[in-house]
Amino acid sequence: MELSALLPILLGIAWLLPLASFTLIVLFGPRMGKHGVGASYLATSAIAIGALCSWFSLFCWFGHYGFKPAEHGAGSQFAAADHAEALTPALSQGEKETATDHESYPRAYTNDLYTLGQFGSLKITISYYIDALTVGMFAMVTLIATCIHFYAIGYMHDELHDVTDHEVTLSDGHHLHRPGRFHRFFQYLSLFCFSMLGLVYAGNIAMVFVFWELVGICSYFLIGFYIERKSASNAANKAFIVNRVGDFGMIIGLMALWGGLGTFAFGDVTDADGKVERGIFSQVRDPANGYALAAPDGMVRSAAFDAVEEIAFEHPGRLMPGAAASEINSRIPSWRADHYGYWLLVIAGVGIFCGCVGKSAQFPLHVWLPDAMEGPTPVSALVHSATMVAAGVYLVGRFLPVFAPEVLLVIAYTGCITLFIAATIAITATDIKRVLAYSTVSQLGYMMLALGVGGWVAGLFHLITHAFFKSLLFMCSGSVIHATHTNEMTKMGGLRKKMPVTAYTMLVGCLAIIGAGIPFLIGFSGYYSKDAIVAQALSFSLANPLHGAVFFYAAVGGAAMTAFYMFRLWYMTFAGPPRDHHIYDHAHESPKIMYRPLIVLAVFAALVGCTVPDWFPALGGLGVQNLLEQARPAGELGEGVLMAGLAYPEEHASHAHSIHVQATVYAFSTALGGFLLATVFYGLRWLNPADVKQQFFPVYNFLLNKWYFDELYDFLFVKPAHFVAFLITFVDRRLIDGFIDNLARWARKLAHFDDLIDRYFVDGLVNLTAAWTYSLGSSLRSLQTGRLRQYVMLIVIGLVALSVLINFASAR
Amino acid sequence: MEPVGISHFMTVGAIMFVCGVVCMATKRNALGVLMGIELVLNGANVNFVALSSDFLTTNPARGLGLDGQFIALFVIVLAAAEAAVALAITLNFYNNHSTVDVDRADELKG
Amino acid sequence: MNWHTFFFLLFALVACGFAVMVVLSSNIVRMALYLIFSLGATAGLFFLAGADFVGAMQLMIYVGGTLVLLVFGVMLTAQGPFVSMKTRGGDWILAALLSGSLLAFLVPAAFSIKEWTNAPPAAAEEHHAAAGRGRAEAKVRFALTSTPAENADAAADESSTAALPGMAAQPATATRLGMGLLGVRVDKLEGRSPELQRGMSGYLLPFEIVSVHLLVVLVGAAYLARSKRRATR
Repeated sequence: MELSALLPILLGIAWLLPLASFTLIVLFGPRMGKHGVGASYLATSAIAIGALCSWFSLFCWFGHYGFKPAEHGAGSQFAAADHAEALTPALSQGEKETATDHESYPRAYTNDLYTLGQFGSLKITISYYIDALTVGMFAMVTLIATCIHFYAIGYMHDELHDVTDHEVTLSDGHHLHRPGRFHRFFQYLSLFCFSMLGLVYAGNIAMVFVFWELVGICSYFLIGFYIERKSASNAANKAFIVNRVGDFGMIIGLMALWGGLGTFAFGDVTDADGKVERGIFSQVRDPANGYALAAPDGMVRSAAFDAVEEIAFEHPGRLMPGAAASEINSRIPSWRADHYGYWLLVIAGVGIFCGCVGKSAQFPLHVWLPDAMEGPTPVSALVHSATMVAAGVYLVGRFLPVFAPEVLLVIAYTGCITLFIAATIAITATDIKRVLAYSTVSQLGYMMLALGVGGWVAGLFHLITHAFFKSLLFMCSGSVIHATHTNEMTKMGGLRKKMPVTAYTMLVGCLAIIGAGIPFLIGFSGYYSKDAIVAQALSFSLANPLHGAVFFYAAVGGAAMTAFYMFRLWYMTFAGPPRDHHIYDHAHESPKIMYRPLIVLAVFAALVGCTVPDWFPALGGLGVQNLLEQARPAGELGEGVLMAGLAYPEEHASHAHSIHVQATVYAFSTALGGFLLATVFYGLRWLNPADVKQQFFPVYNFLLNKWYFDELYDFLFVKPAHFVAFLITFVDRRLIDGFIDNLARWARKLAHFDDLIDRYFVDGLVNLTAAWTYSLGSSLRSLQTGRLRQYVMLIVIGLVALSVLINFASAR
Repeated sequence: MEPVGISHFMTVGAIMFVCGVVCMATKRNALGVLMGIELVLNGANVNFVALSSDFLTTNPARGLGLDGQFIALFVIVLAAAEAAVALAITLNFYNNHSTVDVDRADELKG
Repeated sequence: MNWHTFFFLLFALVACGFAVMVVLSSNIVRMALYLIFSLGATAGLFFLAGADFVGAMQLMIYVGGTLVLLVFGVMLTAQGPFVSMKTRGGDWILAALLSGSLLAFLVPAAFSIKEWTNAPPAAAEEHHAAAGRGRAEAKVRFALTSTPAENADAAADESSTAALPGMAAQPATATRLGMGLLGVRVDKLEGRSPELQRGMSGYLLPFEIVSVHLLVVLVGAAYLARSKRRATR
């Protein structure tokens, strides 16, 4: 079966298996096994099979395309191919593997799986876009997820029975006692895996957005897993809402893209009739144009709307739609030359990037990630270090062809600021997970910086290595927390004797993150990736001295700080005398199911950065960097249009010897410096960090309080919202309700008045009439004496009177 | 002495009528009242007969003629009927109340 | 003074006198007797007025039937205390007032119509000539109570005999009354309307009604006055 059919199927299976697992656990979770333990087995097996499928597809990819890119350098093609086209070239490529014919070298497969709806020219589909990046991401995500699933089976065993949550106090003073929710954790984990893989698999930006939101919801569920804790539910809300703020920008970007391009799809899709619908990439970077960045026709037309109106007006038959189309189309190139539509492109790029800012916790939306540590540690390991936060970086990487240089500059600055702020805060944090959280934020800043200065492979390479060592670090910290039942490092110390596996795997992780290694020879994974980033930054600064200087020093300074706080963490936790004997006594190594994944991940953290040397038989060239190279987007990054003088060098220029050597020296020396400083303060304890705290107390306070971001946001947004709510409540309660209440009151008074009238006047009249009638009747009663003779008398009197009357009447 | 005319008969009739009325008005005995009624009717009868007479008037064609006598006959018959009923009532009253005093018959007072 | 006038005075005095005595008497039995006498005299008055049949009927039906019935009633109820019941003084005064006013009204009314006085024509002329007072009144009354045709009759009658007018021999009233009751008015054959000339418009219907009425009344009276069996077992 050719790759174009096999890969979508394999990756599709890997994507949908967690969904099946989620559905089954939702329906049958509590009944699966004793206390729902079967749910974990189901979820783990689903993701494990997914991992197998992903790795198998990776091997297939390597088998088809080899380990190295066809040509490492300029003009590497980026062509989207459809289902039918892939057939013949794929077969022929098997023979021409090492050929340099890059014209028809399909390295991405894209097609629509299912059209959800077609509304005019808007087509919403489920589609895929598979290239080397996709396959690599799948492999990474599924492997880490599998390890974490195993780890979580051990970590969450508390939930298999009733839980007394000591952090929740009910209104009657007791701690909350609740049944365990073991199966639900795996339900959410499965849903998360499905969402994340769907995001990577997606072939159009609308599908990405859907899964973007899904990932956000899963994160909300997982952070708020201990929902009864106020801190957890607040953190979940914060995460979701801050993400939403970013998504607002993303929607604007989507609208701009839709308006300008008329499609959401990444690549070109040929439908059944043979008509090619051009995707975003080929519209922005036309192959015929040498993959140069140019504002697409739609955007140009939208931007030059006044000229378009003029033409439409003057044109005979102007009321017919499309009448002036040909003339407008002929004018488009000249408009583009006048830079019409460029701003729209910039806005589209910035909008999409806003979503990434929210998702990847960049400044200023970084505030949610440290609070997200309220979730259980497996969540932190999977979601908030390796995958979800990486989704933003992944999207930037995927969308790089669409970003104009100005947008890339914005990305770079954002990343730069983020990495600096987060690193400074991590220096003073004492909660072990907080340190790691800020470290994550900082490393994400690194990745954004890398992508922003044009290092596509560097940034994504760091993404993959970071995923491994950060999840390892989180899992180790989870192991420590599990053993000591506390997060505070100030209560730990000297634990490596009690928990050797954890300690040494964490050491591997720390070394990886700081980029330790033997320079120019071999190093941990972080060494290679950080090296690449620093090299690219240096290369950029050569082309753009002003911006580049900022980026370079930030990168280098960040490396130093990273080394410092990571080893501070390690020394405080595992070295030195125990600070709390009670905790030290009770500490123990985690069960096997927990520390075995640690070992697996440690191996990867150490080795995933290495590339097998070319001279190695059969496996020569195997490495992540080479894999990513195969997916590099075509075309140069170009030069800035709105900001003249902004020039992006090619990435391969950073591999030039001079730059590379310089970068390595800088990176290694700063990392070493940070490491030594940490050792002096915390390892060997020659100097006392308390003195430093004292001396730099304001700075220390500022950093300890996280640069007062939460307070600032509270003042800027939360308080005004409360105030507006207060105003509205006031209007509602006093004015509106008051008005209604007064209406009611007056109605009551009126009713009372009417009642009085009714009772006294109307009823009174009626009663009076009745009383009169009665009294008249009563008085007339006296006539009825019952005495016969009186009646006779009266008759006679009447008779006499009548006769008299008649007599006198007739006499007259 | 002038010949007897209708007026003289009418005088007699008037006197009888008035006596009957007074009798009805003053007698406490029910039968006394009844007698008063008879007197009244007779007084009226006298009037009728007098008016129908040919002898007592100078212009008999102007009188009632035989109609007066018809009416008098009817009055007699009806007086008989009424006397029978009144007597029956009185006897009933006497049987129930053991008295014929009409002043005692005031149970229908209002 | 002729016998007619004499007998009239006799019967009139008897009738009125006994009627007054009925009023003044307090003994119920005596009242019954006086009533009989009074009504008997009335029958005589009827004969004198020329209503022989009516007079006979008065004697037979009224005196002989109704009053006998009354006497029976008196007999049945005249037990001890009920034989004589005196009326109070206040009632007498009221009765006197009433009777006085009624009498004062009736008697002048009786004498007000000239024709009823039965005066001979000469007396009529005297009446006219000597009518200094109330002349116009008499004329007015005459004019009011008579029609032009009757005026002609009256004028014609004025020249009739001074003897008792209408003393021409009349046949007995019984036959005429009988025919009239059967619906044939033989006494009005000279009447003005064509029906009367043909002898129609009799008293047949009233006769029937009255007979049935009498039957019903008597049956009712008999029922009313039945002796009710006392349920004392």
